[in-house]
Amino acid sequence: MTSVKKKYDASDFEMFFGPAHPGSGNFSVKVEMRGERVLKATADPGYLHRGFEKLMEYREPMQNSVLSDRVCVLEPLQWNLVHAEAVDDLMDYDVPERAKYIRVILAELSRIQSHFIWYAVLSLGTGFMTGFNVAMGYRDYILDVFNLITGGRVYPAGYICPGGVRKDLPENAEKKILAVLDKIEYMRKFASTENLAWLSRFKEVGILTKEEAIKYGATGPILRGSGFVTDVRREDPYEIYDLLEFDIPVHDEGDAYSRFRVGMEEIEESMKIITQALDRLPEGEVRTPTLKPIVQFRKANGETYIRNELSRGEGAFYMVATGEKTPYRVKIRGPSFSHMIPILERLLTGVNYADVPAIYWSLYQCPADVDR
Amino acid sequence: MAAIEQEKTDLVEVLSSELDASITLKKERRMWVEIDSKKIVDVCLKALQLGFEHLSTISAVDWLEEGRFELVYHLWSYKYRTSLNIKTKIDRNKPSISSINSIWDTYAETCERECHELFGINFEGNSNLTPLFLEDWQGPPPFLKDFNWREYTLKEHYKEENPREQVYFEVKK
Repeated sequence: MTSVKKKYDASDFEMFFGPAHPGSGNFSVKVEMRGERVLKATADPGYLHRGFEKLMEYREPMQNSVLSDRVCVLEPLQWNLVHAEAVDDLMDYDVPERAKYIRVILAELSRIQSHFIWYAVLSLGTGFMTGFNVAMGYRDYILDVFNLITGGRVYPAGYICPGGVRKDLPENAEKKILAVLDKIEYMRKFASTENLAWLSRFKEVGILTKEEAIKYGATGPILRGSGFVTDVRREDPYEIYDLLEFDIPVHDEGDAYSRFRVGMEEIEESMKIITQALDRLPEGEVRTPTLKPIVQFRKANGETYIRNELSRGEGAFYMVATGEKTPYRVKIRGPSFSHMIPILERLLTGVNYADVPAIYWSLYQCPADVDR
Repeated sequence: MAAIEQEKTDLVEVLSSELDASITLKKERRMWVEIDSKKIVDVCLKALQLGFEHLSTISAVDWLEEGRFELVYHLWSYKYRTSLNIKTKIDRNKPSISSINSIWDTYAETCERECHELFGINFEGNSNLTPLFLEDWQGPPPFLKDFNWREYTLKEHYKEENPREQVYFEVKK
């Protein structure tokens, strides 16, 4: 409780949810309360602003691919991929087939481990500590695969780079990925079983209608949790997604529980994609044989807007090149920008304070890509 | 699938006549159009009515030599599976454009808040232009091309005379 407003009676007050709240991340929401009811919520981002867009204007694309990991800790490899695709598009690179498959396998592994983190923070928010520990434990198996392939557990240091990927898969990587998929199958079942704690905290809480979701720019699991069938991988296919078979899980209720269910069902789809990609993995080069990347980028001239389906929604890069060795302007569109500011403010209005954590975490937040 | 492709070629023509601007299909599923900044609200509203429901984001580009700001509105149509990127240029000295918050509500407002904070662009009709990221920032909008943050930080933060830095240079007696 930070202040009591004098103009109202003593039951009206303002308080902060975050940034020091356990699990809120580097983000805070100022809530105006009357008793236990939230009258108004105001999102307050900016605790993690690092100015990536400006930093990228001073660096070459290869350096930027390392920077692009850091946009969000939940799915660094997917951010690598969006950045690499934007540069590929500007430079007209023909990415080798094998590299495309490796990119997709890593992006989907990244999606699974990101959904595990989501499960973990949701458990944390509902006081279900076992869930947190189990999910983070199983996530570690995937981090071990990243460690083997990219050399970094969380941050791959630009493994997916313009023109392909930096290195071929190590010898035993395919075997290890299959073994890890086998292991995390337990976690997938654990996450998809009905749990009384989830039902009582999330059912019919924070309902977002389909029309509102579209108007406020919701994407990914949040939009699919409101009953709208859409997926960038299907509608605007990149890499090899148009060759793969997968379903798009959708739930109609629009509440916190249906958003969470969509996420957990996506884990199975990602596992399907990885097995298919591993089956068809072709031999060959993993990187376009090129001149020095800097020399190449000097030839790039124009602009591009690339969208990808990240684990949390639509992530996009707008890049302008003017024949310099660095991009003239980079704009990053993170999925949480719409989820954490307009949608969160809208959903928190009028709810009971006890529901704030459930709504907050059900929006699959990552303050890092709001602030960039 | 062929029907959708046919629809897309028609779409370029329909959009061009409806929006009264020439639309170019640069790549598959990527349409670009340049319009006059005064028409932005009308064009966005028309685009929404034609099925471009999703506002992806608004990007601002600072063309320093030309002396103009460029704003790019990235829209996506779930129906036609096509993106429409609307570009418009405004004067750099008095950057001002109408807000599209009547169409995409608080999401458009939030995107505009970002452009206002980082580039200093004014959006008429947007009552909420409070800063998003920077706290107690007194300097110029930081994403402008003529703002050199390297010089700025050196001058403001890493000199011994700077009161903020003195604590690092004090010698304990």
